[in-house]
Amino acid sequence: MNNLLTFLNQFIKVSPEEFAELIAWTEPRQFEKKTILTKPGEVEEYMYFITSGLVRKYFLKKDQEIITHIVKEGGILGSGESFLTGEPSRYFVETLEPTTAFAISRYKLEEMYGSSKKWEKLGRVITTQYFLVQEIRLMDNIRFSTRERFVKFMKENTDLIQRVPQKYLASYLNIKPETFSRLKHLMNPK
Amino acid sequence: MTNLIDINPSLIEYAHRYLQRFMTITIDELKMLLSYCEVRQVEKRTILVKEGEVDNYLNMVVKGLIMKYVRVKKSDMILQLATEGHVIHSEISFLTRTPSMVFVETLEPTIMVSLTYDKMEEALDKFPQGERLGRLILTGMYVKKEESRYYRLLKSPRERFLDYLNAHPHMLQRVPQKYLASYLNIKPETFSRMKHLVAKQ
Repeated sequence: MNNLLTFLNQFIKVSPEEFAELIAWTEPRQFEKKTILTKPGEVEEYMYFITSGLVRKYFLKKDQEIITHIVKEGGILGSGESFLTGEPSRYFVETLEPTTAFAISRYKLEEMYGSSKKWEKLGRVITTQYFLVQEIRLMDNIRFSTRERFVKFMKENTDLIQRVPQKYLASYLNIKPETFSRLKHLMNPK
Repeated sequence: MTNLIDINPSLIEYAHRYLQRFMTITIDELKMLLSYCEVRQVEKRTILVKEGEVDNYLNMVVKGLIMKYVRVKKSDMILQLATEGHVIHSEISFLTRTPSMVFVETLEPTIMVSLTYDKMEEALDKFPQGERLGRLILTGMYVKKEESRYYRLLKSPRERFLDYLNAHPHMLQRVPQKYLASYLNIKPETFSRMKHLVAKQ
């Protein structure tokens, strides 16, 4: 719960009363690892704020899984485009670890936005943030070499090396598994 | 300020069509929103934002064509081609007030409606439902980006070529081939070879 408050406070000052009000719009959820939260063809009904655990989002290209997101505690995930448009999801959303989350439904979120200008503003600011994260990642993919992307990611996410299977990290970074293995020596402490 | 609307009758139409996608908006509300904007008119090949500069404008093309590109090891990679009714700017720079990683440049003489960062803040605050409109526009931008990323990862060069040129056949006349090839992430030679696929319909 604390990391949700920390998350919100980056954007907007939230009083204890407001925080309680916000929590009331959400549902606490708990999942085993390897639980599929959303499948292609289904409309995404929830966005999840992850309080503990790990979730990935991916789609299938022929038989190959292409991972576009890996999100740990303190982050938000769901099949975003489906959630926002009401169109069927193209993605799977699946837990990689036992996960707890605050889930908010599309219906409740709309209601919450409508209830006060403050929440509407929070929505705009978080949407901006979500957009920026995606855009910055896209730019990084274009501007940096495979090796640079690998090093940057590993520096910023040391814990994920232990928590995520290598082939998933390789897919997320759009690096061939063989190349990923070869690059691993770059992480060894000097 | 209101006479900016007379500059080009399409302005109201494009802006209305664009905003209507997000929420119902009356012409009066639209005119009020446009009062936060300015009309800019520039020659072709005008660089609106350079790498390293903070982008201060969000632009909607009323007439003309603007491209956005990133310079990677001396070669330019085209990220967006915006024609009439489209919105273009250096998003990260504009939203975070940091130096731009990309260039924004006109390819044709261009008229655009532009909103500065400060005016945007003002409009978000003062315009009724400004926050809501801002959120919905950003949502739209997000969804569009996700879709283009998905298609880029999913589709072959040939599919990307055909999908794009079937949807935007006029772009072959308006944009140099090497730019289109770069935008579609297709090698220029491959692009030339594929041109017969859309020839003379």
